[in-house]
Amino acid sequence: MRRALVWMAGLIALAGVASAQTFVWPQKWTVAKPSEVKRGGTLRAAVISDYRTFNPFITAEADSVPDLISGDRGLVRRDPTTGDWIPYMAESWTISPNKLEITFKIRRGMKWSDGKPITADDWIMTWRIHTDKAVGSNLYDTFFIDGKPITLRKIDDYTIRFIYPKTDADAFAVASFAPWPAHIFGPVYQKEGAEGIKKMWTLNEKPENIVSGGPWLIESYRPGERLVLKRNPAFGEWNKDEAGNPLPYLDRYEIKIVKDVNAQLAEFLAGNIDLFAPATVDHISQVRQAIQQGRLDATLKVNASPVASSQFMVFNWNKASDPFKQSLFRSDKFRRAMSHLVNRQAVIDIVYGGLGTPMYSSVYPVLTQWVNPKVPKYEYNPKQAAKLLAELGFTKKDKDGFLVDRQGRRLEFNLATNAGNNQREQIAKIFVDEAKKVGVKVNFQAIDFNTLVGQLLSSGPDRPFDAIIIGLSGGSLDWPFGPNVVPCKGNLHMWNKSGQCLDPRETQLDALYSRGRTELDFKKRVEIGYRMQEIEAQLLPVIYIAGPNYHPAWNNRLGGEHPDAIISSIWGQRELELTFIKK
Amino acid sequence: MTAYILRRILYLIPTFFGATFLAFLIIQLAPGDYLTQLELDPKVTPETIARLRAQFGLDRPIYEQYLLWMNNLLHLNLGYSFAFQAPVLEVIWPRVVNSMVIVIPSTLLLYLVAIPIGVYGAVRQYSLGDRILSFLAYIGLSVPSFFLALIAIYVLLQIKFRTGTLIFPVSGMTSSGFEQMPPLRQILDIAWHAVVPVLVATANDIAGLSRLMRGQMLEVLGQDYIRTARAKGLAERVVLYKHAFRNAVIPFVATLGGLLPSLISGAGFVEVVMAWPGITPFFLDAIANQDLYVIAGFLTVSLVLLMIGNLISDLLLAWVDPRIRYE
Repeated sequence: MRRALVWMAGLIALAGVASAQTFVWPQKWTVAKPSEVKRGGTLRAAVISDYRTFNPFITAEADSVPDLISGDRGLVRRDPTTGDWIPYMAESWTISPNKLEITFKIRRGMKWSDGKPITADDWIMTWRIHTDKAVGSNLYDTFFIDGKPITLRKIDDYTIRFIYPKTDADAFAVASFAPWPAHIFGPVYQKEGAEGIKKMWTLNEKPENIVSGGPWLIESYRPGERLVLKRNPAFGEWNKDEAGNPLPYLDRYEIKIVKDVNAQLAEFLAGNIDLFAPATVDHISQVRQAIQQGRLDATLKVNASPVASSQFMVFNWNKASDPFKQSLFRSDKFRRAMSHLVNRQAVIDIVYGGLGTPMYSSVYPVLTQWVNPKVPKYEYNPKQAAKLLAELGFTKKDKDGFLVDRQGRRLEFNLATNAGNNQREQIAKIFVDEAKKVGVKVNFQAIDFNTLVGQLLSSGPDRPFDAIIIGLSGGSLDWPFGPNVVPCKGNLHMWNKSGQCLDPRETQLDALYSRGRTELDFKKRVEIGYRMQEIEAQLLPVIYIAGPNYHPAWNNRLGGEHPDAIISSIWGQRELELTFIKK
Repeated sequence: MTAYILRRILYLIPTFFGATFLAFLIIQLAPGDYLTQLELDPKVTPETIARLRAQFGLDRPIYEQYLLWMNNLLHLNLGYSFAFQAPVLEVIWPRVVNSMVIVIPSTLLLYLVAIPIGVYGAVRQYSLGDRILSFLAYIGLSVPSFFLALIAIYVLLQIKFRTGTLIFPVSGMTSSGFEQMPPLRQILDIAWHAVVPVLVATANDIAGLSRLMRGQMLEVLGQDYIRTARAKGLAERVVLYKHAFRNAVIPFVATLGGLLPSLISGAGFVEVVMAWPGITPFFLDAIANQDLYVIAGFLTVSLVLLMIGNLISDLLLAWVDPRIRYE
């Protein structure tokens, strides 16, 4: 089933499960049968960075405490086996004929951990606070489409309506935000406004005062050391497995804060933590060796999928002070030649130890549904690169062996990446070597991250860089093109920040982006996405390189992981609710 | 003496303003700010970033930010952490306390071990024992502490692989289930976790301090008054401890003041490598994030302690060394 059928699925849900009070976690999300499951026990994991707040409205980092305890799910969630939106805290939805309104029927019988019922008011209050500018919530921007607000309206206690200013491919993603208790935040917000909200639920708050509607409650938190979560019994009343057992199975979920990846590896090898995702070849081989020599009873899935991020080289089209370079960087022949000089296989072999994936388009390789397989790829081919450069007039070489044009101007540019990112620095060096072989002089420099971002995001007709290697991550599964990246006025339209489209194909991409964003039919949206990738391939606004793969590992005391088919950097290795301790 | 102390305290005031302003300026000179990280997020609009920048006051001129912060400081408020959205003191204090669990035992151990080693090395100069200790000291001096910590983790893991037991934990400050333990068990648990970090943190410093002690002692032993003491027939023990040692430790008194700020400044990279929830990893994070007031606030506390510490050292020095008088 593809997401094209998401609307139909909604109708089925309306007809079929309208009376259901519980959400049944499908058997196909785990390899374990309900009969082999054991209850109780503690899952032990580690994270790199410490938590900063318990407050859902000011949290800014990924995998924050509010995300953990709420499960980061709302009225709807995705089915990892299909990617479709399915009703979760809602039991069904209806869509208005003009497709601008979605009305959700909220599941009855759900309760907060303090026993109060979860109702429409909780969503309304949560949305109000997120969209208060003075609060500074990270979700603020998600409630606007092109600057126009999405509004929520309470119809009754168990019915809520989302009203969109235009049709939106991300409509369900908007509705998937986690609700927070209105009876806790509401009175403070009414009395003290945004300032009152910001002072709530700091890390010093007593754990028993943190109310959750999700799978976990905070048991204890020791700064810089450990967060311990315990099962929320109220959650188990409406979340069950197919045999009717309340979820999660685990009693506790313990997260150690270990700032050094080597120390995390040591903890995993010593059997002190259960989950680990080795990112370097060295770590992978250490885990593998420990498993093979019987020192560690664990499972390692090498190359489970590519990671959901991109890595690319971008040329600056706005160099008014240097017309020679500007016209060069604006030429697609030049950029194609540069793509032919990126030795992606060497990058994968040297930088990622053979465990990586080449990239050719703005769609992350892991989003297989979206990748247009027919798009031309400008693979590593120095001969072709030399030919293209010759067509641009670079036929002769100077005494140092670098290409020059008829006026004697040398083919030379600067390339930068952020200092301290060893993998990117290695990629840059590989490129410099390959470029030198055909006579292109590339001066590589690793500079401070913030300086680099400053250069990259500067705007106007004359910007202070030639080429930069950088990456992006994040984005939507419903419409995987960046809202800040593709439109010519976008803040992350990194190659051209003159404020307007310079190439007709940029205009085309800009228009297709908006069309896709408002197209509700998944198949049609994929078609638009395919078309965009074709244009991108011709234009090559940025040159994609390669990225590492995702290699999850877990200690075999854990059961209930995803079936192999859905273990990926998007869905992860397991649903924690369905995870259990075998021994 | 009182006049001297008052004068010293008066001198501290311009030093304080100069140092804090310099610190503030240098932090601000680094490119970008706390919000730069956010700019590469495809979901965040530039308007949002501009709004947050205004909320945090990061769009104002540096001198204005400094004056506002100074005003807060005078009201004993170190400022507000952007990352934690909480007062700086509230977020750094628990980390400082955790660091002290390593720093205090490590400092005691340092003096207890390094001074006897130094004295021994001087008294038995070029003996086999002295050579072995010197050799170890040079190794200790040249191996950085983070590397020593990694070696310790490696050794612990190898022992675990061979025997199946982990003699000491490889990271962290407490075991899981710590909250459920009775208080005595909790103390023992922390102590058990602290053994390796304390040893690693001390190893480097022992090397340096014992070499220094050995040098001081040798210098004193070469003095005329030692020869005189020996000549008038004093027992060697009395010569060493009453005449030589007392004079040799005087320079160390001057370093005692430096202990005060080091008490809060953490045990260094050992904390990062062994996942000790101390101030070092926290402070490094703050620097990486450009969490302005956490950096500035912490530097200010260190600065004040350093100034007080120096004053105390000077007073102690006058007390132990009759040659020094302040008027």
